[in-house]
Amino acid sequence: MDLHVEFPRGLTLANPVIAASGTFGFGPEYSRYVDVGALGGISVKGVSPKGWDGNPPPRVWETPMGLLNSIGLQNPGVDVFIQEDLPFLRQYPTKVIVNIIGHTVEEYRQVAERLNGLDGVHALEVNISCPNIKQGGMSFGQDPDQAFAVMQAVRGATDLPVMVKLSPNVTFPGLIAQAVEAAGADMISAINTVVGLAIDIDRRRPALGGVTGGLSGPAIKPVALRIVYEVAQQVRIPVIGMGGIQKTEDVLEFLMAGASAVMVGTITFQHPDRMNQIINQLPEVMRSRGFSSLQEIIGAALPGKADNTAEEEVSYES
Amino acid sequence: MAKEEQRLRSSIVARTLAAQGHVELILESRELSRAVPGQFAHVLTPGMLRRPLSFSRIDPEHNRVGLLFQVVGSGTAWLAERQTNDVLDVLGPLGHGFPAPDPVRPWVLVGGGVGVPPLFAATQMWLQHTISTPQVIIGARTGAWVVMENDFKRLGVPLTVTTDDGSQGQPGNVLAPLQTWLDAHREGQVYACGPVPMLQAIRRLALGRATAYLALEQRMGCGIGACLACVVPTVGNSGMSYRRVCTDGPVFKAEELMW
Repeated sequence: MDLHVEFPRGLTLANPVIAASGTFGFGPEYSRYVDVGALGGISVKGVSPKGWDGNPPPRVWETPMGLLNSIGLQNPGVDVFIQEDLPFLRQYPTKVIVNIIGHTVEEYRQVAERLNGLDGVHALEVNISCPNIKQGGMSFGQDPDQAFAVMQAVRGATDLPVMVKLSPNVTFPGLIAQAVEAAGADMISAINTVVGLAIDIDRRRPALGGVTGGLSGPAIKPVALRIVYEVAQQVRIPVIGMGGIQKTEDVLEFLMAGASAVMVGTITFQHPDRMNQIINQLPEVMRSRGFSSLQEIIGAALPGKADNTAEEEVSYES
Repeated sequence: MAKEEQRLRSSIVARTLAAQGHVELILESRELSRAVPGQFAHVLTPGMLRRPLSFSRIDPEHNRVGLLFQVVGSGTAWLAERQTNDVLDVLGPLGHGFPAPDPVRPWVLVGGGVGVPPLFAATQMWLQHTISTPQVIIGARTGAWVVMENDFKRLGVPLTVTTDDGSQGQPGNVLAPLQTWLDAHREGQVYACGPVPMLQAIRRLALGRATAYLALEQRMGCGIGACLACVVPTVGNSGMSYRRVCTDGPVFKAEELMW
């Protein structure tokens, strides 16, 4: 079965499964355990103009059906990524999405510019939603004007397809999505982690070195599906969904909620080959439900188009 | 094609109660039995993350390794309930273990709590390798929690046991006997594993006097270097830099650490 998915600016994935940023390193780390070339895409760990140290440990804490992390976007900087990891990634047909981060609008612009036109970089994911850094990060993703400014600067610096990763830690994610769409974003990815806290009762203090962390894993899947479902109806650009995907049926949920592709992350820590399994199982899981293409699934659970919804509302007046 | 060669399904061939609340599982695996002491296995449990466990014994001749752990949470509780013939899903061996000791220099191994097992694996593997017999110092909170004492005795190495509550061996922690050993030996080699405060104190004692290799524990995510969860502050090119316990360690030289 043909599983390929097409996105704006010529980005085509062989299948709709992408390794989520922050869970898959820069590519080489998992290559002993994962068939990297079979993945639709890899969103590499966030990179900034110069390297960042990240947050003090402990950086992870297990919760019921979830994982709380406070890595703090430790990375060696965009130049090290280009020199040391990009050549490795070029050997695969898998599309490379570079997650970009900055403390300021100018830093986002710098990374985007540095990556523009490089062989082996196929798209950018603008991370305005990391809850684990003090300056920049999520604050850009919580205000439509700031989100617009970041995306506008990135748009001016690159011809690559650009997606913006949304934060769930806002009242109306759709407002942020509409702002970055207006600033030239080609896609939306949603969601980043949900801000949370755990207390280590033996040490009588927050469990994570960074105090608060971002919750991922199956615990956040309903939150992610709700946001994908809303945002898919509020923007015209495609949405890439993520949050707690553990199995092939979960992928169908996200597609039916309006996502055109998905990212898979936390489950990889337990089962490095799960993304490969999902890709292999997808045709059979689709066929068993009577689907013969991804297009039939994408948005299948969404209410009718905006026009139809309006007509239904009119009927209340009679 | 799924890559299965590094993800191992290993049968449990023996299970023993190593001490109160401590279990040792013996696994059969050719691949794991090629491990170096100080390396670890990342074991699948029902939670959200695997559990990193260092090898308590490594027997390449019989394709066997041991994993000795204390039951501290739901993951280790589940592991403790596994029985002979059950199969574990393991990634490993992972990380960088201890280097082989310099055969002509004196050698001491210092373990605290569940930090003792990798030091037994090291003693077993390199005992015949060194000219002088190594000294072993193991500590626990209380006598009921002392692990692998009989294993060390069977190897015939000089052994000092300490307990915090004085219920067995010398009262106090491992630092006093280590201090005595360091005073008596020049150019010593210290191999240590245990709780962070113990390793920090050993690092301070050893710096400038002996070569110390410390095997670290940290809350870990992927175990293979991708997620950057299990970091420890180390001396970098320009100040502190966080390095990964899973792949840059778990064994670090004392002077590499910035504690």
